[in-house]
Amino acid sequence: MKLGGAESTLFALAAPLSVIGALALLFARKAVHAAMGMALTMVVLGIFYIAQQAEFLGVIQIFVYSGAVMMLFLFVIMLVGVDSSDSLVETIRGQRWAGLLLGLALAALGLATIGKATFPAGTGLDRANSQGNVSGIARLIFGNYVWVFEATSALLITAALGAMMLAHRERLSERPSQADWSRARIKSGRNVAGLPAPGVYARHNAVDTPALLPDGSTSELSISRVLKARGQVATADKELAISQELEGETGDMTRRGNGDDK
Amino acid sequence: MGEFVATKINYAAVLPMLIVFAAAMIGVLVEAFVPRASRYVAQLPLTLIGLAGALAALLLNSRDNQGITAAGAVVVDGPTLMFQGIVLALSILAVLVMAERLDREGADAFTQSGASVPGSPLEAQAERLGATTTEVFPLTLFAVGGMMLFPASGNLLTMFVALEVLSLPLYIMTGLARRRRLLSQEAALKYFLLGAFSSAFFIFGAALIYGATTSTDLSVIAKAVGQVTGLDSLLVPGILLVAVGLLFKVGAVPFHSWTPDVYQGAPSPVTGFMAACTKIAAFGAMARVFYVGFEALRWNWQPVLAVVAALTMVVGAVLSITQKDVKRLLAYSSITHAGFLLLGIVAMDRTSIAGLMFYLAAYGISTITAFALIALVRQSGAEATHLSQWAGLGRTSPVVAAVFAFMMLSFAGIPLTSGFTAKFALFAPAVAHGGVWLVVLAMLASAVTAFVYVRVIVLMYFSDPIDGVSVVNPSYLTYAAVAVGAALTLMLGVLPSPLLDAAKSASIFLR
Amino acid sequence: MTGVLSLSPHVASLAAEGSALTTRDASGASAIGWLMIALPLAGAALLLVGGKALNKIGPLLATALSWASFGVGVAVLLQLMGMAAGERSLHLNLYSWIPAGKLDVNFGMLMDPLSMTFVMLITFVGSLIHVYSLGYMEHDPDKRRFFAYLNLFIAAMLTLVLADSYLGLFLGWEGVGLASYLLIGFWNWNPAYATAANKAFIMNRVGDLGLLLAMFTMFATFGKLDFASVNASVAGAGKGTLTIIGILLLVAACGKSAQFPLQAWLGDAMAGPTPVSALIHAATMVTAGVYLIVRSNAIYTATPDARLAVCIVGAITLMFGAIVGCAKDDLKKALAASTMSQIGYMILAAGLGPVGYAFAIFHLVTHGFFKAGMFLGAGSVMHGMNDQVDMRRFGGLSAVMKITWITFGLGWLAIIGVPGLSGFWSKDKIIEAAFIGEGWRPWVFGLAALICAGITAFYMSRLFFMTFHGKRRWTDDVHPHESPLTMTIPMMVLAVGSALLGLAIGPTGIITDWLAPVTGAHEEGEPVIPVPVLIVLTLLLVAAGVALAWMRYVRDAVPVVPPVGSLATRAARKDLYQDDVNEAIFARPGLHLTRGLVFADNKGVDGAAGGTAALIGGSSSRLAKLQNGFVRSYALTMLTGVVAILGLVWVIQ
Repeated sequence: MKLGGAESTLFALAAPLSVIGALALLFARKAVHAAMGMALTMVVLGIFYIAQQAEFLGVIQIFVYSGAVMMLFLFVIMLVGVDSSDSLVETIRGQRWAGLLLGLALAALGLATIGKATFPAGTGLDRANSQGNVSGIARLIFGNYVWVFEATSALLITAALGAMMLAHRERLSERPSQADWSRARIKSGRNVAGLPAPGVYARHNAVDTPALLPDGSTSELSISRVLKARGQVATADKELAISQELEGETGDMTRRGNGDDK
Repeated sequence: MGEFVATKINYAAVLPMLIVFAAAMIGVLVEAFVPRASRYVAQLPLTLIGLAGALAALLLNSRDNQGITAAGAVVVDGPTLMFQGIVLALSILAVLVMAERLDREGADAFTQSGASVPGSPLEAQAERLGATTTEVFPLTLFAVGGMMLFPASGNLLTMFVALEVLSLPLYIMTGLARRRRLLSQEAALKYFLLGAFSSAFFIFGAALIYGATTSTDLSVIAKAVGQVTGLDSLLVPGILLVAVGLLFKVGAVPFHSWTPDVYQGAPSPVTGFMAACTKIAAFGAMARVFYVGFEALRWNWQPVLAVVAALTMVVGAVLSITQKDVKRLLAYSSITHAGFLLLGIVAMDRTSIAGLMFYLAAYGISTITAFALIALVRQSGAEATHLSQWAGLGRTSPVVAAVFAFMMLSFAGIPLTSGFTAKFALFAPAVAHGGVWLVVLAMLASAVTAFVYVRVIVLMYFSDPIDGVSVVNPSYLTYAAVAVGAALTLMLGVLPSPLLDAAKSASIFLR
Repeated sequence: MTGVLSLSPHVASLAAEGSALTTRDASGASAIGWLMIALPLAGAALLLVGGKALNKIGPLLATALSWASFGVGVAVLLQLMGMAAGERSLHLNLYSWIPAGKLDVNFGMLMDPLSMTFVMLITFVGSLIHVYSLGYMEHDPDKRRFFAYLNLFIAAMLTLVLADSYLGLFLGWEGVGLASYLLIGFWNWNPAYATAANKAFIMNRVGDLGLLLAMFTMFATFGKLDFASVNASVAGAGKGTLTIIGILLLVAACGKSAQFPLQAWLGDAMAGPTPVSALIHAATMVTAGVYLIVRSNAIYTATPDARLAVCIVGAITLMFGAIVGCAKDDLKKALAASTMSQIGYMILAAGLGPVGYAFAIFHLVTHGFFKAGMFLGAGSVMHGMNDQVDMRRFGGLSAVMKITWITFGLGWLAIIGVPGLSGFWSKDKIIEAAFIGEGWRPWVFGLAALICAGITAFYMSRLFFMTFHGKRRWTDDVHPHESPLTMTIPMMVLAVGSALLGLAIGPTGIITDWLAPVTGAHEEGEPVIPVPVLIVLTLLLVAAGVALAWMRYVRDAVPVVPPVGSLATRAARKDLYQDDVNEAIFARPGLHLTRGLVFADNKGVDGAAGGTAALIGGSSSRLAKLQNGFVRSYALTMLTGVVAILGLVWVIQ
């Protein structure tokens, strides 16, 4: 069976895209870009399947992999932190070159091997799809391959169980209520009125900017620990300068030496 | 395309697998609905009954219901039953060891909270509140189910799914050690990544074979490989790539690098289970693939496997010399043993399959017992796996040292232990079928490893004990497992004929 | 052998007990032949698991069981002797170890003249040494364990000689290795002793490797491993294969019998308790190699090339041991060198083929008596001298230790071959046999054997004179005294054996006729030098050796501090640099690579095996660098493997 003109054109256009997506997965510096590259490859693969009369597989590929799995992936990456990326500096000498060389060697061997084969003429999918593509797949899944299909469930249960074990942090004690918190605060005698809120300024306010104390220094306590750990705390210098400028114009109790005299 | 006809499954033949999977799923439900305090009490009997029930079903029922079933996906024949039986029997031993609680709420070897960051308040809280990781029991059952399906697979697709079913629980369990958790998690990640890598080769190979033969069924492949078509050039690389996936599982050189790290990082009882049962399942699958599927092309793959076997023996033996950690030492020893076992595949003969089965059983028993003992030697609460910590153990804990020494002698292949009989049963057919140079190499490798094992014995008996190393007093679970393991190791050395006869009568593959 | 029985009333009573067993029909005694092995084995098990309750009674029990085993042996022997010469071979199938199919392996016992000769030697000498140990180990807190190991050794050694197949022999072979390992390292608080145990074990493994490979080759060639089948199929096998098997068996024998080039461990093994040296490293275990070669006589008879190798090894060890023996000041190490040399005689005799098999065994038996006797004497001396072994610190002991002096003296006279005593009959026969043949061989082997007779006379006399005669060179704190009766009685029995056994069974032809069914008819040959001339020559050399020793060690004063000595003396003192050679060839290249590997027993692993191990260890450290813990590196290794495999196939296709 010969490839139709439209199909060849589609392949010629889409194939480089899928390769670019795959390469992006490997070489993108940011995790989001890598995930997007992978999603691209998945979508293009789905298009190939559909073009080859495997509609069901193609749709599933796009829905499940590109849609569900990859989007979930993206969300997780965003939650974990878009900026967090591991050091990509290679510490083992020769690792990259050796990897590249061997990868190319494997590709060359694969091509040489497959190229040597003389393939018989394709039979096409007409017979397999005679009752529709979905029915054809159903016959295989629930027919010859029913045992494998069922065995896959063991795999999925294991995966779910494993994900729960490795990622789900079971709450082992009662969640402390608002009242518990305040009781604890009063008992400890520190920050009885609660922690200070992050910076609210005249022209700007943000949770990542620490509040200014009366003497002009910043309050460490006003910033969430998470932001601090990620190193995403902004400096309040600019705000301090602005507020000092404003105070200079309007006068402020905190700036007795300046404002009140004016 | 006529009416859809449901595939016939001979449920009597696959009953043991169904029992194991059913028990695993009940175990998952137990996790979901039984209160935390009573989970351990519920899971342990459930697991043991599931395994014992499956073994009983295998012995009583499946033997009379052999045949190819589920449209060729499952082949229940002599070798299948033998491999499945050995896996089941050994996993009962392994579960006993895994369930050891010492004086805690849950199994001692596993962390209370796999999700907590090591050293975090959550971990401490979990420890204080007595959380348990009883999920390991259903995970073990899933792994056992996969291990039973692996050597029974009649087509490459089933084999691939079985490979994943057995691997995935092991990846998870590797990361659940109670102590040195970072090491354990690192090991789990490595195992997972490299396992996925090797799976990719397997599936690539299967695809090439499908391309050449238009089937994944081993019996169809066997017929097709004999005929000359233009696609022959796909076949041999396909076979070898499938072999790569399998060789990874048994830890053959150069696909062995994960073994020492994973064996060291995983909780000791899991290491024992993994070392023993994965090897059995993987060699079972390998034997089926090569004996049934690719027999006609043996001149192509035999030399490659022979070289791999030689490399595996030599590298494993040589590297075991410099090991200073007991678990890593046994990991390299397992690599060497994998090399020996490959002789059984290379020899391509019925008798060597029997030898292979016997060797796997003997090695598995000794391995589980040895790791059960390793879990008992402690220094300030943590497992004392550095060899120097084992110095003088013969004086401080004569029983543990004596049994461990016995296992070492068995690994070394000293007569009157199962190891000697096993080597004899495995090497004799190899010599008879043209593997003389390999056997000579194997003898040299085993002489080198014997030196390593004896050094451990010397260390235990002829050195001064180190302060602070003690042997914890285990419960009847470990006692039972160790006693049975030691007794079987002795018995297979002295009276090997029952198992050897069984293996011999069960060494013909259905095609 | 009946002559032996009447030597001691103790033995006679047990013999009567044994003959009570033989009053049943002929198959009766041999049917319970397994008791020979089972009794000491049960003793070992009982003593090991019995706990402290058996501390007092255990040693006595072990001794009694050893004697009982001897009793059963006598019963079987009597039964054998009652049979026609050609039928003296009883087989007892114990159980089928690996039955059915191609791997048909049964464990059975073969009771024939050869194995029963060994049984008599092992159980009789072994039991005497049990008795001796009762005295020698009296104050040792752990003597229960010691006797358990002794019993274990007896059981294993009997398994070795009574097995009906190479596999069974291998079982015993490993068993004696294990028992000797345990016994050498018995005083394991001393690191040197543990080291020696380790060295012995490792060098023995090299030998075991030979035996295993020989077994696999036999199995591949003959399909069977029992002596009967192997012997029967030798005729049909290729000569090359037989030579390979012969050489491999020789390697095995070298390991076990401390023959060149695997001789290094025997001297160090002297670190064990002295009764152990007497039993294992003089009388029985070290002679297992000779047994193996004589047992495989069908193979060796068919392959002159392998026999030549045996002769060469025997001759080299013969010289080696004798030269080393001349320079050793350590009493036990000198005796060990002598043992090595005497076993060299036996191996040489065995290598000569049908003319020598019987003489090898004959010398083995007489040597078992006089060397065990001398070792026990050495133990007695050490007992009286605060465990000192430096002969330069002895001298003049004949006055204070009369019994030891006399018994040791008889052993000395026997080993140097004074006419009439045992050694004369057995060793001179070997010298004569070595001179039989054509071409260069009789001259080389014969002269080696002849000259070494003279050297033997010198070093044994040196040892004897330095210990018992001359001036007293004792350190101030010793008060030599005679040992208790439990120790001296076995010495007396062995001394009588040393004196008379050779006369009883040698010139009467008993031993050659007795062994003929196993070793084949004894071939008479004509030495290239007439026998009377040979005897005179030997005696002259012996006399010269004794005279030289007398002049240097009795007439001249013996310095307490060893003189620097000539180059040759220094070389001999250092075991002809055996450890240095081993180190230079095997150890040093690997040593610097293994510096990172520090182990409690690292130093113990010297010698050839250790050197190779160091070499392997070196490559091990290098290979281990690939195991760097980075998963990407591991993946790269795997990828390399895949590409290599596919590339290989691509190239081949």
